[in-house]
Amino acid sequence: MSGIVDFDRFLFAFTIGSHILLVSLSIGMAIMICVSEFLFARTKNKYYGALVRRLIRPFVVSFGIGTASGIVMAVELVNLFPRFMTLVSSTGVIAIFYVEIFAFFVETIFLVIYVYYGHTFKGTYTRWALTLPIVVGTLLSAVLIVMVNAWMNTPNGFNIVGYVASGSSYTVTGVSPWAPFLTTSTGYEVFHVVAGVPLTGIMLLGGFFAYRYVRSENADEKTLFLNALRLAVALSLVFVVLTIVAGALEIDGMWQYQPLKYAAIELNPQPGSNLPWTLFGTVSGTSVVGGFEIPGLQGILEGGKMMPGLSQYPQADWPPLIIHETFGVMILGGALLGLFIIVYAGLWVLKHKPYDRPILAYLFVAFSALTATVMELGWATDEIGRQPWIVYNVLTVANAANYSTNLYAPGIAIVVAYLILVPFTFWFMARVFRGKPIAVDLEGPAAGGHDVNY
Amino acid sequence: MSTINWLFELNFAIFSVFLVLYVTELMGGVLLILSYDAVKEKVLPYIVPIWEVTGTFAAFWVVTADFAYPAMLIPVATLLAGPIVVFLLLFVARNAMISFAELITRRGGWINEKRLYQLYGLATLLIGVVVIMVLSMIVTAAGVTLSPLSFSVWTWVTNAGSVPYLLGVILIALGLAPVFYDIAPLRKITLPLTALGVLAEVAALYLYSSSFVNAWIVIPAVLTIAAALLYNLPPTAAIVSKKIVFALVATVAVFSLNYLVYPTFLNGALSVDGVTTHGPMVGVFYVLTGVGFIVVGLLMALYMLSAWRSGKVTSPVPPTARPSTPAGHNP
Repeated sequence: MSGIVDFDRFLFAFTIGSHILLVSLSIGMAIMICVSEFLFARTKNKYYGALVRRLIRPFVVSFGIGTASGIVMAVELVNLFPRFMTLVSSTGVIAIFYVEIFAFFVETIFLVIYVYYGHTFKGTYTRWALTLPIVVGTLLSAVLIVMVNAWMNTPNGFNIVGYVASGSSYTVTGVSPWAPFLTTSTGYEVFHVVAGVPLTGIMLLGGFFAYRYVRSENADEKTLFLNALRLAVALSLVFVVLTIVAGALEIDGMWQYQPLKYAAIELNPQPGSNLPWTLFGTVSGTSVVGGFEIPGLQGILEGGKMMPGLSQYPQADWPPLIIHETFGVMILGGALLGLFIIVYAGLWVLKHKPYDRPILAYLFVAFSALTATVMELGWATDEIGRQPWIVYNVLTVANAANYSTNLYAPGIAIVVAYLILVPFTFWFMARVFRGKPIAVDLEGPAAGGHDVNY
Repeated sequence: MSTINWLFELNFAIFSVFLVLYVTELMGGVLLILSYDAVKEKVLPYIVPIWEVTGTFAAFWVVTADFAYPAMLIPVATLLAGPIVVFLLLFVARNAMISFAELITRRGGWINEKRLYQLYGLATLLIGVVVIMVLSMIVTAAGVTLSPLSFSVWTWVTNAGSVPYLLGVILIALGLAPVFYDIAPLRKITLPLTALGVLAEVAALYLYSSSFVNAWIVIPAVLTIAAALLYNLPPTAAIVSKKIVFALVATVAVFSLNYLVYPTFLNGALSVDGVTTHGPMVGVFYVLTGVGFIVVGLLMALYMLSAWRSGKVTSPVPPTARPSTPAGHNP
């Protein structure tokens, strides 16, 4: 039976892992389109107009596939974890999902108006204004889904009797419908995601722009990619700083509100106030073996406060300690990424033209892939760190799961479909970005509409 | 005396809008499969923007259903685990095909704009079959074994009502497609196909259970046949083929279907009142639905205004830039 639970777990992890990749790119493109529209309205620089025209095409594809994978996730939650959704629907958490639909509507309708009818609006600032609700809608959708995740980590707004023990017979009492909108971890998680997800999307675009800039031989196209790259680097710099601050705050919140998860990701066998920071390694008894240790660093970063340790909790409740490794790689990758962006931007400011160096372009591509990896690892750390619970201390994944064996064949089909579709989508987006000659894209207004095959 | 279950009614209203949007897409999809070159000028300017809105309404309905019927989630997952995943696969295919079709620049080869739009039509049609099967299962319990709870596609297919039910939907969709997309050369087939489709539907409901054929069936039957009939009369053809008029009438027709079975699901096995949410979440549902209806209503009005306006504004694109320019659709 646990095979089916693991399959449910794997299928959902796989689909959400693919979904967040597409969504981060969508959010990155929405922000880039919005800023480019503004710069086009303000400066009348035709290269920003052309950038918008080119970004709209992959944005439509990303939105289309992202919407589908979002609906796949929403339905999978019911299909794979029906008891989880039954609990969600009995509490105020369902209200978060409900509000998210309205954010989704704002995003969709304004995207449709902007993309398909945007060319009928003559005012450049009007077209820019149309992009604002798209950005707000996409970000709000992300914020609201993270609110659900925060509630899963630190549930509130209800009492429950009998669920854990029986797996089926339970009573939900004392429902406070609006409480789940603000749990103890909501603020930290939302800030982290609002900073980190756009960073991933913009870095992916930045890598593409840097690569295309060095490969292109057309002067107009080079100018277009240079403008695009400048924008991507500036935005990445802002979001990388925000992500560092948000990450530090989330760690700070975690030791207060999710101490077991904190102890596991930091691999603290014992509680203490002056603990080392450890990269890799494993717990053996009451100590850590292997790995790379910086004595006292954790204590310094947390201001000498008493940090939790694994020994304070029964070993059966520990999450898989692989999250220490995923967390370590995430921190290391994030630090390297921050360093790269700062150095790259610094070289640019000092007029060393980093964009003209092919090696830096290839490094940019590598770092954009690293950003996506870091984001996925961050999500994996958060989710694996809550195991075996789906709702912490309330409902286990095993109790929430669907045990129907009918799921195997179509579930495998979904995995195969995604393995083909997601890489193809990225390839197709890169292709349609350059689907028209630069001379055509430099003509006309920024917004789309007539670029579509009617 | 029973009172109206507003949770159910509101959820069904949202479902009705979704289904109408979906069926209008399906009608277009079928036309694209049958005669792409002849109908694309009429069909694509509607389908290309609306498919994104339809998907959002699908999510809207799924979440309101989760909200309204928490007690149904476990039975639904038990009964429909397989069909739901098939639906999801087809939904991904639908979105992928149409978003690729919109932007592909290839006109030759096997994979091109035309082929992708036709594959989108096929995916939409197959989703329609899955949705129709699940709908009839929920209403009539066809294919369902109640103890232990299970669903068999084969048992559904072999139920006497299922084939005429599916046939009826296809005939109605084919009959009304020329009305919705205002394809005058196909005018003559609209009334016979639609009337046959309605007859097949009534027969199917009777075969499922005679209790489904009651006075309420007159509303959807009359509205459906009237749409086809009015399209054949010159003074009313232009009115009934206006998309907004058609969609509103179709929504009323679909919504009225709920009275055929209300207040039960699964052919009387489950009471609607017994599975809807209760306690403080009911008030939250009403508040959010009220706010949501206003927000979505305003957004849809804005969308229709933009679509209408686009038909009035000349495209600034030079004629050489595109082989065919969007006509702007009649909302």
